[in-house]
Amino acid sequence: MFARIVGQSFARNPRRKLLTMAALVLGITVATATLTVALEVGDRMAREFRSLGANLLVTPESDTLPLEIGGVDYRPVDEGAYLSETDLGKLKTIFWRHNILGFTPFLDVPAYVSATGGATTLIGTWYDHEVAVPDGTTFKTGVSVTHPWWEIQGRWFSDAANECVVGASLAAKYPGAIAIGKTIYVAQTEKSSDIRPLVVTGIVSTGDAEDNAILVPLSMAQGISNHSGQFRQLFVSALTKPADAFAERDPKSLTPTEYDRWFCSPYISSISYQIKQVIPGVDVRAIRRVAETEGRILSRVSTLLWIVTLAALIAAGLAVAATSAAAVLERRIEIGVMKAIGATNTSVTALFLTEHLTLALIGGAIGFFLGAGLARFLGASVFGTPASPRFILLPVVLGLAILVALIGGLIPLRRAARFDPAPILRGE
Amino acid sequence: MFPRLLWKLLRNNRGRLAVALVAVISGATVISALLNVQFDISRKLTQEFQMLGPNLVIAPPGRMQTQNAGAASAPLMDEATVAGQIERTRTPVLISAAPYLYIVARVADTPVVVAGTQLAEAEILNPTWKQETGFPRYLPATRMRPADACIVGRNVARQLKLAPGSPLELKYLNRTAAMTVWSILDSGGAEDNQIVADLTAVQTLAGMKGQIQVEQLRVNGTSSEISAYAASLSKSLPGYDVRPVRAVSEAEGNLLNRTQLLIFSMVLLILVLTALCVLATMAALAMERRADVGLMKALGGTISRILGLFLAEVGVLGAVGGLIGCVAGLALAQWMGQRVFGTSITPRWEIFPLTIAMMVAVSMAGALPLRSLGKIKPAVILRGE
Repeated sequence: MFARIVGQSFARNPRRKLLTMAALVLGITVATATLTVALEVGDRMAREFRSLGANLLVTPESDTLPLEIGGVDYRPVDEGAYLSETDLGKLKTIFWRHNILGFTPFLDVPAYVSATGGATTLIGTWYDHEVAVPDGTTFKTGVSVTHPWWEIQGRWFSDAANECVVGASLAAKYPGAIAIGKTIYVAQTEKSSDIRPLVVTGIVSTGDAEDNAILVPLSMAQGISNHSGQFRQLFVSALTKPADAFAERDPKSLTPTEYDRWFCSPYISSISYQIKQVIPGVDVRAIRRVAETEGRILSRVSTLLWIVTLAALIAAGLAVAATSAAAVLERRIEIGVMKAIGATNTSVTALFLTEHLTLALIGGAIGFFLGAGLARFLGASVFGTPASPRFILLPVVLGLAILVALIGGLIPLRRAARFDPAPILRGE
Repeated sequence: MFPRLLWKLLRNNRGRLAVALVAVISGATVISALLNVQFDISRKLTQEFQMLGPNLVIAPPGRMQTQNAGAASAPLMDEATVAGQIERTRTPVLISAAPYLYIVARVADTPVVVAGTQLAEAEILNPTWKQETGFPRYLPATRMRPADACIVGRNVARQLKLAPGSPLELKYLNRTAAMTVWSILDSGGAEDNQIVADLTAVQTLAGMKGQIQVEQLRVNGTSSEISAYAASLSKSLPGYDVRPVRAVSEAEGNLLNRTQLLIFSMVLLILVLTALCVLATMAALAMERRADVGLMKALGGTISRILGLFLAEVGVLGAVGGLIGCVAGLALAQWMGQRVFGTSITPRWEIFPLTIAMMVAVSMAGALPLRSLGKIKPAVILRGE
């Protein structure tokens, strides 16, 4: 009997049901979309921040003071300590290896260049280099990942070839001698006999000291300076979580449980600690300017987004509740008839609530999938890659839909229960 | 007649209208708060980006090129010229500007990079610097800094075993300069390997009076504002190389756009939902008025007049609710600003008419279903069907 009444109610007046349903679907769509985006945004923004480049700098621990002006080290090659290139694969073996997006070694070598007739800095680095990881795989990395804002005209050098890329300011100064396709001759000093011809393949503009230098494959710089397999500095770009008070604590002062939690959180401090563990004898420091800005903005944007999401949830709830309430009010006459022929308040309430629940379940499910689609679209238009649907949200939004439909229905139903059927039927 | 009817309509239905008013007010509150935050967010975020340090650099044409360890021979520029032009083109977007002169001096036979600059400006330029002065924190440290003070990078201090207060002698060629270590700097950048000292002292030591190598600037604003400022600066400094620090400016523009787009799309969704919410409440209110419509029609009112009356009613409701909601929304926006950014949000007054107009429009749209009542005969409605 009860089931039949509910069924008839849906069959007889589908238009009215559709309206309530539309509000439910819309509300749940927005709720799902905002929740999905809010859950994903931290990760997305963190990835976006990697366009700021590296956030960790690895240098030898027992080093003399680098004579670094404007990003270029002017120490003679035989001074100071070096790091070994063979250790680099180990970076992809740490606990947070998947958060290491890239790393690039740098070796600055003062050299004599024929085209400029004087000393120029050679910067040995990787552009898109394959590193062997101890687990047997390889990992492609280089300045393409850690310095994404570098702009190249022409193409980058290939690792094994005698090629180089020249900084824009330097190239502008010697337009005759340095241009794409020309060959320049490089040696460690003016007198050394080890002269290497390099073909210029591109002009790079970095907005920094590299604009006045010549970039060569790392192995070339190592060969010229007689430091094969070695480098001075390593820039690491890692996905991190904004630092909080816990992240700043000294790992030695933590209890074992706290230590585990610290070690297993992608804080910049725990990632540096893990790098130090696999490559002994290095000093790992966060490039604070980048790391702190990132942390601050990330936490701000995500707080803001959660507030907005909360507002969206409340708005969705209100919209659903308002339409549900309107639906009940519209059917006051029907309620009057039912009560006049002997229905109790409980059975009337139960009938309406069952209808609402059915609507909430169907509308919630439809809304969830539409919302996942909307989140995909939002993710694609804002961050370039679509946000994947989170099925963990399905029970959450269904519960939400049921809750708001029930609350939206119950309040006017209670008011309706207090009325006498007679005046309602009279149309007052 | 019309105003009187309208007044009676509003007065005699206070209870029922209050519910609708609450819906309109809450809708307007959310909308105006979010719009306020949305319009202010780019300014707020650019302030956050200040932590990234300088984003504009002025260098003499053809920067340092030939270098041998120990002696930097870089093209120089005149400090007074650059400072004068910066002062002449100064706009509120310029946060700070610091001139720099780098030399490689020796401290007890160890070569160290010494950066000469205006210490106070450099500190504004680099908000992430952490300094250990050895003084109690509550003392206004910068006020009483003597002229021979220098800030020593953390690695330099470790290597040379320096602490705040220790004397320091810098040697350059055959000149020397006596300094006092003011603080140990943890910068998380290149300054950790440098000594930062007063520009005039470094110029005297190097024998380069009035000369600097680069000028670093922090300009707040969107990337177009920054490039506009850079363009105006390079026009007044012909021949100089004025360029944005690409690593910083590009990331900033990128992140700013994405965050704004994200918040904007969320706000848009909420706008639609809130409008729907108000619409539903208003539609319910209008449906309850069916009997009134029937009576008015029976008494000889034309449907357009009756509809006009109801539209005026909900219009007044929308306007009043919108106005109250705007004020409440401003308060909500302030709270959000404090909660998220720690500063208040600048109110935008154009949001007031916008929100109120939107509320009036949505309320009226909610009352439109009444139009269909025009087809119904009053007798039917009055009978209660």
